[in-house]
Formats: sequence, structure tokens, C-alpha cells
Amino acid sequence: MDTVGVAGMGVLCSIGAGVPAFRKALEEGRSGIGWLEDFAPFTGAPIGARVKEFSFSALLGERRLPASLLRRAQRSAGRSPLSLQASIACALEAWEMAGLHERTVEPSRVALIVACDSSLERYSFNGTAKLNDAAEYLSPRFALHALASDHVGTVSEVLEIHGDGFAVAAASATGNVALVRGLQLLKLGEADICIVVGALSELSPLALQAFHNMGAIYGSAGTAEPESACRPFDSEASGFVYGQGAACLVLETSSSARQRGCSSSVELAAGACVLDGNSSSNPSQSGECRVMLKALSQGNLQPSMIDYVNAHATSTPLGDRTELAALQQVFGAAISRVWLNSTKSLVGHCLFSAGVVEAVATVLQMQHGFVHPNLNLQQPIARDCRFAGPRESIRGVRIATALSNSFGFGGVNSSIVFRAARPGAPAVVWS
Amino acid sequence: MTTREDVFAAIKSSTLDVLSDLSPEQVTITEQLKALGANSVDRMEIVSMSMERLRIKASMLELARASNIQGLVDILWAKCNESR
Repeated sequence: MDTVGVAGMGVLCSIGAGVPAFRKALEEGRSGIGWLEDFAPFTGAPIGARVKEFSFSALLGERRLPASLLRRAQRSAGRSPLSLQASIACALEAWEMAGLHERTVEPSRVALIVACDSSLERYSFNGTAKLNDAAEYLSPRFALHALASDHVGTVSEVLEIHGDGFAVAAASATGNVALVRGLQLLKLGEADICIVVGALSELSPLALQAFHNMGAIYGSAGTAEPESACRPFDSEASGFVYGQGAACLVLETSSSARQRGCSSSVELAAGACVLDGNSSSNPSQSGECRVMLKALSQGNLQPSMIDYVNAHATSTPLGDRTELAALQQVFGAAISRVWLNSTKSLVGHCLFSAGVVEAVATVLQMQHGFVHPNLNLQQPIARDCRFAGPRESIRGVRIATALSNSFGFGGVNSSIVFRAARPGAPAVVWS
Repeated sequence: MTTREDVFAAIKSSTLDVLSDLSPEQVTITEQLKALGANSVDRMEIVSMSMERLRIKASMLELARASNIQGLVDILWAKCNESR
């Protein structure tokens, strides 16, 4: 039976550009959270995890890809907003890892899904200043760059993708939902390969103020240490911390991989999305429980077979507690044996791309046998869970099966399952 | 007073900004933007950036008459001197 494997990955976030740097930072438990600039007149504490020292041309220079492909990337995206350039950089890294520049497939059999909700919000916000200042000179390209389809169009132009393609919007669950749709497209036989990109969420002061005024964002009285603000599962958690991150997974059917002369050791075994029928921001234990059980059932798995959970856990008191209650309900007694962490404690909440960034973190931990720390976890809100500690990675861990959750405003619940054929092995093996 | 050379310089700079893989020698006054590889949005962006550099405004109707860069120079130069 055809399975769907992870053939390539790419990532760019506050703790590293590229998969090797990201993996090292996860292992070392490095935080990407610091002070934000350029967020006036936001009235909250301007804390977040920014991508630092970004250079599109430098990132292109690191790729071992055909010159024509890199020229196309420079031409198509060289003047585009950060979010778009981050998508291209990640897609190129994943494409290269998957060997698609050397052992390719028919372009019409490659699909593209981009996780992009209000990821381009800052670009629109900045356009307002231009509108007020000199409306006639608002760039003719604005209408392209302001839409999620810019990512779909540009990535497909650079990589010459001619199969199915679209953008997905599901609030903080967007990344996972995009991966689930990719899995489904491949299972349907609509494509042999699906590139799933999580677009970096570039937010403006307007968006941060909006989250702040609803009480969702980190809100304790000003802290001297931004790195301590994001504390998933901790009793002192007070709201999420905005993070910038883009990522890409190349999903491929096992039959396509065989034809290209490779095999993937990590399978995207299952994925599910369910709605709560709720327009508000509050989480639902029953919805979260339902989606995890649905994903497990789809993968023919018992909860006791899960070795590791990459939690949604955003450092919001109600959200973290609800997810833990749902996990306890799903896993029962087995909860004390399942390693549990939240990548958000290192990279902040990457919002609409979080599911894809965290999928890369999950696969890396499976491949390299470690569980990264839960930074700032000093007083866990539950006693019976197997949390990674606040400082050191847990090493020498065998993760054969992993679950990754993402839950979003508007009652969206999603859960995906990865299975490693050979825990501790590289993702792609060439014959 | 803005000269035709000033106008051509603004258009040339804008063209090289938008079509980043061109070399300056390729952008000559007799060239067509389309022939240089500019699609419809590229052409609109080149014109918009040129007008901003020159601090003038021309309508799409007026600009549609230009069939090459020379034509564009003529229309924008006339606009520059109209507002003086």
C-alpha cells in the first residue's frame, strides 16, 4: 500500500535559518525571543521571536541547485516582502533535500499547498501609509503581494509546479490543516508529490494590539527578560508570544519515491481536522480529544503507541490546561510515558505556519533521538505528564511514533501523526 | 527644467529595479519593455516608479499611446513640463 513520506524539509525562524541550524538550536534549547522594534504604537510589551539578519541572496547562495532555478527565484521574489522570500527559501531547501532538482517528476504531478491566513497583514498595514501619502504611487504589485495566492503563484513559478495548488486559512491550525490536505491529495492520487509551505506571519502593530486587547498575547507587567515570557504548561504562563517562522515539507508517495530511487524513513501516517462549531477563541477539550482520536484511528494506532507529542501549547493558561486535559483523556494512564514539549517555548507562536514549523521540529527529534526542552517550565500545571525539563534536551530517546497538535480560533482542531520506519535514521535515503 | 535625458534616466533606473537580471546596456531608448521581458504588471510598475521619481502623474489612457521607451519618455517629459 502506498504511504506518504517526508522527502524534504526547509525551515527559517528566529533560532535558525536552515534545517541543520534549526536542529542545533532545538538540541541546545536556544530561545529566539527578544524585544521587537517597529511596533509603535502597540501598548503592550513588544516581545517576540523575530527572524534575524535575513538576506534572501545569502540564502539563495547556500543552495546547491541549478543556476537557472536560483536566477528564477531571484527574479520572481528578489523584491518581494519578507514572508514571500522566506517561503521561497524554505521551499528551495526542501526541494534540494528531496533531490527534486536531480531526480524529478512530471510537473503536473506536483501539488502545492501554502499555509497562509493573515500572514501578510503587515504588508497591507504598510500600504495604508502609502495610500495616505501618495495613493497614485501605490505599487501595481501591491494587489499581488497582499494576497495569499502570491505564495502559491511565486513558489509554483520558481519550482515549475503545475499540479493542484491553493492556500489554506485556519487561524493557528493553518499549518497542520495544510499538511492534512496535502496528505489527502496524495492519498486520492491527485499528485505524487505535495509541497506544503508554512508562510511566515509578518504582523503589524495593529495585529499585535488586536491580540493584546482580547487578552491572548503575553500580558504580564513589563518583564526585564523577554526570554522568560513564553512558558507553555507553566503556572505563570500569561499569553502567547508572537514568533516569525516559515517552513516547508515535501510529502511524497512511497511509489513515487521508489521510482526516483529513494525512500523516506519518516511517514506522515495520519492527519485529521474537526470543528467545534464555535466562532470564538476558546478551546474545547472534547474537540481536541476527538481530533486526536480521529488521527490515531486513521493511522491504526492506539494512544499507547505514541512516544512523543509536540503540543500546540501556546503559553495561554486556558489553552494549555485544556490541551493537557484532552491529552489525559486520550492517553489515560499512558500519559506518564509520552514525552511532551512545545516548540513554541523556543520559537514563539508562529501562528499560521506553526503547524509546519513544528512538524519539522517533530521529524528532527525523531531522526536524531532527542526531545527539546520546555523553556521556562518551572512549575508545571500537571504532575502526571512526562514534560521535557526547562533547560536540557532529553537525549537518546527512541521516537517511533509522534503526534503534533494545532488548535485555532474559530474552533478548528487538528492533529497529525508521524511514524519513523527507522528511528534515528536520516529522513531520505538514496539508492 | 526636466530634460528628456532626466526622464529616460528615471525610466531606465525603474526598469533595472523591476527587471533585476538585465544589465544597464540592455535598456536603450528604442527598446520595448515587453521585449526586455517585462510582463503587464512589470510594465505598470516601471511606469509607476518612473512617475514617482519624476513627481508627476499621467493617466493610463495617456500612457497607453507609448509603444516603446522613446514613446514613454515623450509622454512623461511632456507631463513634467506641463506642471512647470
